[in-house]
Amino acid sequence: MKKILFSVLLLGAMFASQMVVAAADLEVNTPAITAIKGSMQSRHAQLAPHYASGAVGLTKDGMVAVRDANAVPLKDRAALNGTVAAENADRAKLYKEIATANGHPEWQAEIQSTFASRWIDKAQGGWWVQGAGGWTQK
Amino acid sequence: MHVEHEMGNAKDIALKVRLNQPKPTVTLHAVFNPAKTDVQRKPEDWIQFDLACDLPKQLNTIEARCINGRLKSTRVDFPFDLEINRLFNPNQLDLNATLSLKDGSFSDEAGLHAAEKLTGTFTVGLKREALGWQWQAALDWKAGEVYWQPFYIEHGGHAVTASGTLKDDMLHVHHAHLKINRVGELDADGLLRLSDAKLLDLNATLPKLNLSAAYPLLFKPLLGNTAFNNATIEGDAALSLKIKDTKLQSFTLKLNHVDIVDINNKFAFYQLNANIPWSYEASNPVQLSYEHGSLLNLPLGKTEINAEVNRYSLTAPNIRLPLLDGALSLSDISAARIRDEWYWHLAARLEPISMSDFTTQLKLPRMLGKASAEIPLVTYSRGILTTDGSVVLHVFNGTATVTHLTMLTPLGIAPKLNADIALRNLDLGELTRTFSFGAIEGKLDGDIKALELQNWKPVTFDAVVQSSPGKYPKKISQRAVENISALGGGGAAAAVQRSFLRFFEQFNYGKMGLSCRLRNDICEMGGVESTAHGYIIVKGSGIPAITVMGYNQTVGWSELLARVKRVTDGNTKAVVE
Repeated sequence: MKKILFSVLLLGAMFASQMVVAAADLEVNTPAITAIKGSMQSRHAQLAPHYASGAVGLTKDGMVAVRDANAVPLKDRAALNGTVAAENADRAKLYKEIATANGHPEWQAEIQSTFASRWIDKAQGGWWVQGAGGWTQK
Repeated sequence: MHVEHEMGNAKDIALKVRLNQPKPTVTLHAVFNPAKTDVQRKPEDWIQFDLACDLPKQLNTIEARCINGRLKSTRVDFPFDLEINRLFNPNQLDLNATLSLKDGSFSDEAGLHAAEKLTGTFTVGLKREALGWQWQAALDWKAGEVYWQPFYIEHGGHAVTASGTLKDDMLHVHHAHLKINRVGELDADGLLRLSDAKLLDLNATLPKLNLSAAYPLLFKPLLGNTAFNNATIEGDAALSLKIKDTKLQSFTLKLNHVDIVDINNKFAFYQLNANIPWSYEASNPVQLSYEHGSLLNLPLGKTEINAEVNRYSLTAPNIRLPLLDGALSLSDISAARIRDEWYWHLAARLEPISMSDFTTQLKLPRMLGKASAEIPLVTYSRGILTTDGSVVLHVFNGTATVTHLTMLTPLGIAPKLNADIALRNLDLGELTRTFSFGAIEGKLDGDIKALELQNWKPVTFDAVVQSSPGKYPKKISQRAVENISALGGGGAAAAVQRSFLRFFEQFNYGKMGLSCRLRNDICEMGGVESTAHGYIIVKGSGIPAITVMGYNQTVGWSELLARVKRVTDGNTKAVVE
C-alpha cells in the first residue's frame, strides 16, 4: 500500500507539468533514475510514519527535513537523521539526473523547484510542509 | 513578587529562611524567564527553579546540603541534589561541591539534542591561588541515554576526571582521563581558551579502542552517506595525537587485526593491520596490510602496502593487489587531499586474471581466456575516475580493448561508466557456446563507441559487430539462424523450415554483422548491407548458403534484451524435421 502511495505521489509530482520547465521531460527514464527512484521508493515506508507524525516535513526546496524529532524515541533519532540524509542525497541526485537526461544539466535548479511544489501539493493531509512563512500542517 | 531586568524576568519568588529550628534551612522557589535571545521563544517558556538547603550551624564554614532541587521548563526537567562541602577557607573562596542529577531530561525544539533518564554526578573543586584558580572536576555518567546529533549514547557507564588551572580565560588541563564504556580510555592534557571555546593545545593518547563498540557510537554517525557507513568492524585501534596552537601537529593510528565488512558486500577486508604515523613537519612511512578481502565480489589476496605520507599527500612507488589468480599492480601512486576532496593518479597494470574465475565471481556467463590491462595513467578527481591508455581483455581467442574509460561514483547508488570498446577476432565458436546461442564458426570484430552505463546498464552506444576480415571457415548452424532471426524479429526461420534448407544442419556464409545505435531506450538496427525493405544480417555464400534479413529498423532496447534472454535461456536444441 505504501509503495502504491509512493508511486502515486511520485507520478503526481512528475506528471503535473509546470510552465517553468515546460520543455523538460520530468518522467524521463534512465537506469540511473530507475535506481534512484527504486531506492527512494524502498525508503518511503520508513519515512511515511514520520511525515504523518510531523517528525519529518517537506521543505520548500524539494527536500525533506527533521522538523520535530521529539516524538521519535532517542535511540531511533540517529537512524531518522540518516534516513533523511540518504533521502536528500537521492533527491539531489534525482533532480540532477533528470536534468542530465533532458540534455540540460543547467535545468537542475528549476526541475528541483518544480518538484518541490509538486511534492508539497501532493502531500497528504496532516503532513508538515514548508512555505515562505515556515512550517504549516496540511 | 515580580522582578523585571534586562537579563530576564522573574515571578513567584519565595525565599524562606528558617533559622530558629534545630537545623537551619533555606528554601527558594522562583519562576524566571531569561531575556529573549530569539524571537520565537514562546511565553510559556518560564523556567521553574526550586531549592531547599540545610544550612551549616557555623556561618564561617559554609557546608550545605540541598535536596530535591529542581529546574523545570517545557523541555527541561533536572531534578538534582547539591552538596556544598566547602565554600570558604578563612579568606579565600575554596569550593568543593557535588551536583547529583536523578532521572533528568532535556531536549531542544527540534529534538536533535536531547537526553532522557539521565543520572549522574558532577563534582567540582575550585580554589583561589595567587595566579588564578586551581580546579578539579569529575563527571560520572551513571545511566541514561543521550542523543546529540549525530551521536547517540544508549547507556551510562562513562566517566571523566580532570584537573588543572584557570587563569583569565585560559583553561589549562593538566590531566584528563575519559572512560567511554566498552569503547576505550583516553588520557589527555591541553589548553582551552574559554572566550571562543577554542582548543589551543592537546596531547591525547587512546591506547586501546574497541572498534566494534566505537564504530556504531563514534564513527558511523560521522560517516554519513559514505561507502563506509554500513559495515561491521572488529578489532582494536590505538591513537595518539598532538595539537599545538590550534593546528594538528602529529598523530599515530594503529590498527590491530581489524576485520571490516560491508553489510551489502561491496567490500570486505580481513586481518587489517596498519601503522599510520603523520606529522605536519616531516614525511613518514605508513604501512597497511590485510590477509584477504573482496571488492565488488572480486576476491582480494594478501596485500601489503607501503607508502610515504607527507603532510596532505601520499606517494608510493608500487602497490601490488593480488586479485583472483592475477594481480592489480599499481605504480607511481600519488594522492593528495585538497580542500576536503581527494585527488589521485597512478599507473595500473592488470597481471593476467582468468576470465573464467572473473565471470563466475560476477555471476556472468562463464567465459574462457585471460584478461590483462595496461593503463599508463588513471586519474581520480572530484568523484570521477578517468583512464588514459587502454584495458585489453584477451577473451574468446581475440581481444576486447577498452579505451576512454571513465567512472563516476563506482560505489554509489547510481554509478556511471563511459567507455569505447573495440573487439577484434573474437572466436564465434567459443562465443556462441558461452552464451548458448547455437553454433557459429568464424571470427567477429566489433566497435562499441560512446558507451554509457548507468547503474551498470547501457543507456547509450553506437555498436557495430561484423565478421573479421581475412580467410577462415564461416559456418552457421540452423539453430543460430533461427536465433538471429528471432533477434531481428523476422521470419527467416519460418522460411528455412518451409524450404529444402531444413535438410541442412549448417550453412556457409560470406559475412555477417549487426549494428545498434542505442538512444532513449530505442535501438536503431542495421546489418552488413541495406536493402529496400530491411538489412542483411547474414549474407550467404557457397552451397548451401543462407541469407538472414532483418526488417525491424528500430527495436525497443528492453524488448531486444528480452529476445536475447529468450534465445539464450531457451536452451532447447533446434528441431530439424
